[in-house]
Amino acid sequence: MRIWWSMFLVVFLISCEEAPNSDKYQIVCTTGMLADMTTALCQGIDSLEIQSLMGPGTDPHLYKASQADVFALSRADLIVFNGLHLEGKMAKLFHKLPEERVYPAAEVLSEKELINASAYQQAYDPHVWFDLSLWSKICFGLEHKLQEKLPDHKSLIARNAEKYRKGLAELHHWALKELSQIPEKQRVLVTAHDAFKYFGRAYQVEVKGLQGISTTAEFGLRDISELAEFISSRKIKAVFVESSVSPRAIEAVQEAVNRKAWELQIGGELYSDAMGPPQSGADHFYGMFRSNVETILSALK
Amino acid sequence: MQQESSWILDSSLILVAAGTFLLAVSAAVVGSFTFLQKRSLVGDAVAHSILPGVAVAFLFSGTKDPWWLMLGALISGWLSLSLMDFLSRKTKLSQDTAIATVLSVFFGIGILLLTYIQHLESGHQSGLDQFLFGQAAAMKSQELWIYGGLALVLIVCTLIFFKEFKLLSFNPDFAQTLGLPVRGLRILMNSLMVLAIALGIQAVGVVLMAALLITPSAAARNFTDRLKAMIFIAALIAGFSALLGSAISFSAKGMPTGPWIVMCLSILALLSLFLAPKKGMLARMLLQRRHQQKINDENLLKAFYHYGERHANLAQWIRLSDLEEIRDFAEEEQSGALRRLIHKGHLLRKGEAFQFSRAGLDEARRVVRLHRLWEMYLSQRLRLKSDHIHPNAETMEHIISPEIEAQLLEELDYPDKDPHQSPIPYRS
Amino acid sequence: MKSENQLDKDTVLEVHNLSASYNRKPVLWDIDFRLKGGQLIGIVGPNGSGKTTLLRNIMGLMEADSGYVRLFGQDLNKVRQRVSYVPQRESVDWNFPVSVREVVEMGRYRPSNLMRRLQSSDQDLVDLALEKVGMLEYATRQISQLSGGQQQRVFLARSLAQNADLYLMDEPFVGVDAATEDAILRVLSELRDAGKTVVIVHHDLQTAYQYFDAMVLLNTRLVAYGAKDDVFTRENLQEAYGGRLTVLSKLSELIARSEFPVREKGFKEKSGEGDAAGK
Repeated sequence: MRIWWSMFLVVFLISCEEAPNSDKYQIVCTTGMLADMTTALCQGIDSLEIQSLMGPGTDPHLYKASQADVFALSRADLIVFNGLHLEGKMAKLFHKLPEERVYPAAEVLSEKELINASAYQQAYDPHVWFDLSLWSKICFGLEHKLQEKLPDHKSLIARNAEKYRKGLAELHHWALKELSQIPEKQRVLVTAHDAFKYFGRAYQVEVKGLQGISTTAEFGLRDISELAEFISSRKIKAVFVESSVSPRAIEAVQEAVNRKAWELQIGGELYSDAMGPPQSGADHFYGMFRSNVETILSALK
Repeated sequence: MQQESSWILDSSLILVAAGTFLLAVSAAVVGSFTFLQKRSLVGDAVAHSILPGVAVAFLFSGTKDPWWLMLGALISGWLSLSLMDFLSRKTKLSQDTAIATVLSVFFGIGILLLTYIQHLESGHQSGLDQFLFGQAAAMKSQELWIYGGLALVLIVCTLIFFKEFKLLSFNPDFAQTLGLPVRGLRILMNSLMVLAIALGIQAVGVVLMAALLITPSAAARNFTDRLKAMIFIAALIAGFSALLGSAISFSAKGMPTGPWIVMCLSILALLSLFLAPKKGMLARMLLQRRHQQKINDENLLKAFYHYGERHANLAQWIRLSDLEEIRDFAEEEQSGALRRLIHKGHLLRKGEAFQFSRAGLDEARRVVRLHRLWEMYLSQRLRLKSDHIHPNAETMEHIISPEIEAQLLEELDYPDKDPHQSPIPYRS
Repeated sequence: MKSENQLDKDTVLEVHNLSASYNRKPVLWDIDFRLKGGQLIGIVGPNGSGKTTLLRNIMGLMEADSGYVRLFGQDLNKVRQRVSYVPQRESVDWNFPVSVREVVEMGRYRPSNLMRRLQSSDQDLVDLALEKVGMLEYATRQISQLSGGQQQRVFLARSLAQNADLYLMDEPFVGVDAATEDAILRVLSELRDAGKTVVIVHHDLQTAYQYFDAMVLLNTRLVAYGAKDDVFTRENLQEAYGGRLTVLSKLSELIARSEFPVREKGFKEKSGEGDAAGK
């Protein structure tokens, strides 16, 4: 009998959660891109901890929060998430948390700036980080929010934000220049899902995805067939797989195109909804963006 | 209309249609035995139990090589089957409890593992989610060869061991007494089922696999009582659904192939429930209607007869209003019966009055005779009280066949009168 | 009343100290008898007396707790082709989509024709069997359309198709009409006259005396066996049908509940002893 009681006690203790470490200010971000921006803005601030829920290769549309995530969110002082339904399966979770601790970074943008998702009325395309000018605006919003939360470090945050936005502006112009080298007819970006609409709009690239805006959408034969038709008739040189989406669908498209007697390459891997693994050079935002542009360039030029 | 003309020749459509066709047909053939052995729920449980196997295979091999995933699927499928068997045999759990337990535990572990995988640092999304609902639309030509080959193996094995599988499904004890290797055959059957499930999951996923396995034979059962025919029809239904589902998936954007195949299957199954000859609901409803019409017709004839008998003139013209003293008829029943009796030539009509024809009179005599004979039988042989025999005879007179009539006459020794002293009408 | 210990050359079935459980509850205690060939033998006893369990043990469908069974002096596996088993009619789903002929054909399946089709010689035997039981004209009919009596005939035909020397049947007369009962008896008598042995688990005491030459009377333990007049005495019937052995049944339930082993493992009876020791 005593054995049972001691076992029960052990199990009970193990499941008890640690007392929160209340020293440091806890910020939890959902995507790696947001974590990257937050880290940059908080550069130099001690007693601050930034955590990212979704790692490289994780699809935010499909991401289901684990118990550890919920725990981290519950003791966070500030939660930065994208909003616009990017983190589709976590929306309910965010609603349950106190409002002043939760910050939807992308919702600082106005309706005019957003691209409407064709399938749903009130929903917008959430992949805003691919238009660096928009990402810059989001940086403004985050800057103000952080200053509100950490008033002691106002000026430090402002300086960091300035630097960050300068980097974005440089990157933005670089991208425009580089991508214009691809002849217009060839400047078509075909990917697994519609993550690059903002990118396309900002940098004059025609984009097409197999799945819709969210990877939760099912695709059928028709989608594959039409895409293959599109690619072969426009004689597009390459399509791209994404780091966070299974390449299976794109490979099927490639096969379909090859059967139409047009040779299609897989141009490389793009980072769409997540950044790259550590030491890949794409594990921070600038690197990720650069890598994408370079991949596109080398495949389509 | 460029798209229209390329419909039939579109290579993706042909590829997917062929692949899913083979998968569906092999699942239907193997699933027929699962269905006949009343192990449909087991099939569903095995399908769900394959999920952790696939996840573990991915974690173990670090790749999404289909052979590895298939191996994982087969192992966990087999494990769940053995576990269900063990639980229901060696513990006090009933069979359906064992099945439900294994299904939920294995599936839960599978989801757990999938969630874990999505948290991993590896840069590629595993894409194992596809196993939940299948991704037939993204089928590759290499896969077609694999499926085709394995599906063929399944079908050939079933054909080779057809008579043994038949016996094993029908009377396993007897098989054992014949000295047949029952254990080995069982293992073979189970392996074929697990393989068919592991294959079919590629097309329709774990959640819908049971439909691919069971629905075709359940539908086919409504059409035939012969085993070979049933399996053939099941294969036909499954193959047709695969082709139709693929076509629908091709006809518009965003229509996932696997679920549409299952939709077609289910619709066909429902239709078969309804439309199957003899066993279908429609056939049975029509049969009931015919019965009811016969009853109405004969009742009307009897009413005419009784009236004529009562007024000692069977040849007179009778109005419908006259019949009210004999019996009440519902408006519809009466008009329908009248129509049919006139059409059959049993009654003649002059304005509002009706008269027996020769044939009609014979027919009326027959029904009345049966009624009264049956009353005699109930009264004499069953010794029922007189107030009980009339309602019973009302029902029986419509169903007594000529053979039984002959037997009645013999047993009762050709009586003249019934228990109420009414004369029993023989030939005029 | 027991026969001698010696094994007759014409002992067709020998059951030696057989104890068996069903669902962990002992239902047969030390059953011991020998039967000569060329007879119609009935196994009778009240409900729950272990008759079906005995038959299933003989046919190797169950494992005994102790004791053994010999058919034609050998282990069952050596003489399977000489033995035929007719299970209870209700043990099968008669809605299964097969025809009468297909069921009777099953009597011709053997390990030797695994994976192969039946030959025309097999089909001839099937036809013969169907004719014997009067079901030849129903050969193509689906078994779901048969009456109880017809179903029993089909089972019998399947058994006949095996061309065995020893037939073991489990309650073949339950729920059949009088005409079928006569027909079956006729067939079985012909078998007996041809020198075959038929052992039947029978449910009805009255008809048992009529039908059988020899009997085995049991109620969880053996009460008597042998020629019918020797078995059918007032004392024997009283003992078999007169009431339960309450101590025994209580003990059996206790064994089942606590999942107690019925025999000590590894206990091997030395041959020769015990038989003559009597009760």
